[in-house]
Amino acid sequence: MSDDTSPNGRPTEAPPTEATEGLPDVVAPGPDHVGAQEAVAGPDERVPPPATAPGADERTPLADAPPPETAAPRKGARRAASPAAASGKTSRASSRKNARAPAASATGPSRAKTGGRTTQAPPAVMETPSAETEGAPGAAAETGFDAPGAETRSASASATNWFDVPVTGAAPPPGPTASAAPSAVPATSFWSERPIELATPPSAGSLYEASNAERAAGPADTLFEFEVEVRNNVAETVTSEVSEMQNMAAGLLRLVGENMRRMTDRQVERANEILRNIDLRDYLDPDFWKGIGMVLRYQIDEQVGFIKRRLNGEYSTDPFGMDPEVIAVVRPFLRFMYRTWWRVRAEGLENVPSTGRALLVANHSGVLPWDGAMIAAAVAEDHPAQNDRIVRSLHLHWFSTLPFVAPTLAAMGQVPGLPENAIRLLQNDELVCVFPEGLKGVGKLYKDRYKLARFGRGGFVQAALRAQAPIVPVAVVGAEEIYPMLGNAQPIAKLLGMPYFPITPFFPWLGVFGAIPLPTRWSITFCEPLPTDTYDPSEADDPLTVLGLTELVRERIQATIDAKLAERKMIF
Amino acid sequence: MTRVFINGIDGLLGARVAELISRDREARIVGLGRARPPAPVGRAEWFAARLSGKQFVELLRAEAIEVVVHLDFAGAERPAEDREQAVQQNVIGSMELFGACAAAGVRRIVLLSHVGVYGASALNPSMITEDRPIALATLSGLLRDFAEVEQFAMDFVARRPMLQVASLRLASLIGGWSPMVEYLTNPGPRMLVGFDPRIQLLGLDDAAEGFARAALSSVAGPFNLASDDVLRLSQAIRLAGQQPVALLEPVVELALSLGNTGVLGHWPFGPSFLRYSCVVDTQRAKCELGWAPTRSAAELIQMLRANGRLVEDRAVSEAALREFLARRS
Repeated sequence: MSDDTSPNGRPTEAPPTEATEGLPDVVAPGPDHVGAQEAVAGPDERVPPPATAPGADERTPLADAPPPETAAPRKGARRAASPAAASGKTSRASSRKNARAPAASATGPSRAKTGGRTTQAPPAVMETPSAETEGAPGAAAETGFDAPGAETRSASASATNWFDVPVTGAAPPPGPTASAAPSAVPATSFWSERPIELATPPSAGSLYEASNAERAAGPADTLFEFEVEVRNNVAETVTSEVSEMQNMAAGLLRLVGENMRRMTDRQVERANEILRNIDLRDYLDPDFWKGIGMVLRYQIDEQVGFIKRRLNGEYSTDPFGMDPEVIAVVRPFLRFMYRTWWRVRAEGLENVPSTGRALLVANHSGVLPWDGAMIAAAVAEDHPAQNDRIVRSLHLHWFSTLPFVAPTLAAMGQVPGLPENAIRLLQNDELVCVFPEGLKGVGKLYKDRYKLARFGRGGFVQAALRAQAPIVPVAVVGAEEIYPMLGNAQPIAKLLGMPYFPITPFFPWLGVFGAIPLPTRWSITFCEPLPTDTYDPSEADDPLTVLGLTELVRERIQATIDAKLAERKMIF
Repeated sequence: MTRVFINGIDGLLGARVAELISRDREARIVGLGRARPPAPVGRAEWFAARLSGKQFVELLRAEAIEVVVHLDFAGAERPAEDREQAVQQNVIGSMELFGACAAAGVRRIVLLSHVGVYGASALNPSMITEDRPIALATLSGLLRDFAEVEQFAMDFVARRPMLQVASLRLASLIGGWSPMVEYLTNPGPRMLVGFDPRIQLLGLDDAAEGFARAALSSVAGPFNLASDDVLRLSQAIRLAGQQPVALLEPVVELALSLGNTGVLGHWPFGPSFLRYSCVVDTQRAKCELGWAPTRSAAELIQMLRANGRLVEDRAVSEAALREFLARRS
């Protein structure tokens, strides 16, 4: 408050400065508050004047319109305040204290008017100003007048705190006001019932310590005043549409006021503290907005450029169709599913080589192959090497026959599960993930959960032996419950040409929403790799070796699943 | 001294093969076409005619031909007017030529084919190697001709150990006219909704290089020749400056079953090739022929877009002009 802001000073800069320093001050120039509150009250300009006019200019016809019982006490105060404000010479020391005190004192008249919400208000009115004026006797008269004036201000000053800030885009309170105003129809029906309640106001204040309630109630009560004023205005307005709007504005004022009343002292302090720490001058700096504009423009240009490039075909895929740009686009979603939705805990990632070939062999479950996506996410997100290694999952070749699914899977780096593809990928030193259970696993019924199905005919072991790639068994726990598959409607599946048609508690009953997986808690365990370089590649043709290794991998996965299931306390 | 007979020197590919083989001082080249070669043919001696089987035997014997490069397929380098005639030329003509080669004691036949002979299916590996069998039953049109000729050739040489056949399975050619160029340069290339197969392309020069190498080497069997990079079909169309038109698959099936063959526009293959990819592995050609593509598919499409349909024709026209101006001197 070092710069003595005169009301004639640069009007744009003055109110935020005050708000910044947390001084609900008398000298805040009126016009700015009008502007501020208008902005708060929303696009409908017919609503704000009754709310703001009293605070700014008592000559506004609307302010004179309401019945005298509400307008009178405050009018006088305002008249006194306005000259004081105009003089710009108010004693800072006193006004600084007054700012708070009147907030409490103001409750007196307003409460009396709104039906005596508190009993102890009158003494407060009497005491506070006198206590304050003691220190500055010379300014006694001024302060005396100042006090209620400051109250109105502090309403609008707390409005400075509560409302000014948001105007420049910081805090939520006025948000609803601004946004709700246009949507009059539903709101009106709700708010139109409010006047009845006015007679029996909520005794929120009594729930808290009186002083707390007092402090917080100051601005709140002013809001109630405004509300009454607005309602009075409503009574006069002829047009129903306008009156509805005003009804709603009044209701919103009341809502904000009631909520402010419920706030404890600490909360108010904290909110003020937060608001005080926002340096509003930054927001007024054109360069700030230019900077934001540049950032936004860059973002938009980037996105548009990306889409244009895609539409011109200027991108490249690997021979299997993997498109790194598409992966980058879906990765945030997979990260969300990984971290937030399923809160996956990945263990043993050090068993996954950071370079070179390896074959991940996992149990398959959960109707839709989310487990493959999560294994890929685990390697991409949590692998100690952090080299964003992409897991190439092998999917059932049936998916290649589906429109939209086929190109998407290919772009994501997934490859139809054919032995040739597995061997080729491994020979390219890729990290390949297979689900030997295949359909038998993914379409498992809920009652069979965590019981591994047959591991095919050991094709994955053959591929690993031929490519001399280590086999890393992977146990996924939690995916069985994401869609509890109670039954399999085989006739429908046959009709639709699907491998199975799941019946879960939610699907198909809830349609698309039934396809939202349950947010179970997952754990993915990467076991120690089984080396295959001790075998000769030609042993891939030996059924005994192949089937033996297959069984070994299966047992290891089953044992890990059982251990993890025993550890698990609950599904979610 | 290798004596090479090029059947189909009247195409851009045949002319280019003749030119490349001419670089080998040891080679002597005889060319046969139905018309004038459209490009310089090096040291090749050629004549325009349409020979029957017996006349082929006479020619091959008279010239003591050792290697036959068979490129004479209707619909491959210029549009085929009539399907029945095309089958006559492609299948029956090839059978006649094979018979003549066996009768004339030709050592080796290098045969033009297409990677599409593997068919397009979800069960094909993502990168098809040469040991994948030919999917004759699923093919139609020119691809079926290629597949039939290949099948016939395999059976034919199986009983004649003195005769070798190397079939070069080329990805869709970009250079002169080809069905794929026709598809990519005409407005509104058709696609199927929800499918976007990967495709490979091949530059005309790279293909000619493959034939020249195959003609002068002694390896047999099928070889895949294709660009190293892979494009999505929609990507290729967009790179060519076109907007794809996506059709619903049931609509296409219905139209095809009702006999409307024009529903897929200029798409040169069957509808299955719009669903599934047919991408090949060229490792064998690289190892055994020492061949490697010099142009990527993306480059080829850029050239196609820049120069119109006949990418290579600038050089061709230049050479033709020089030849014409030099005739008086």
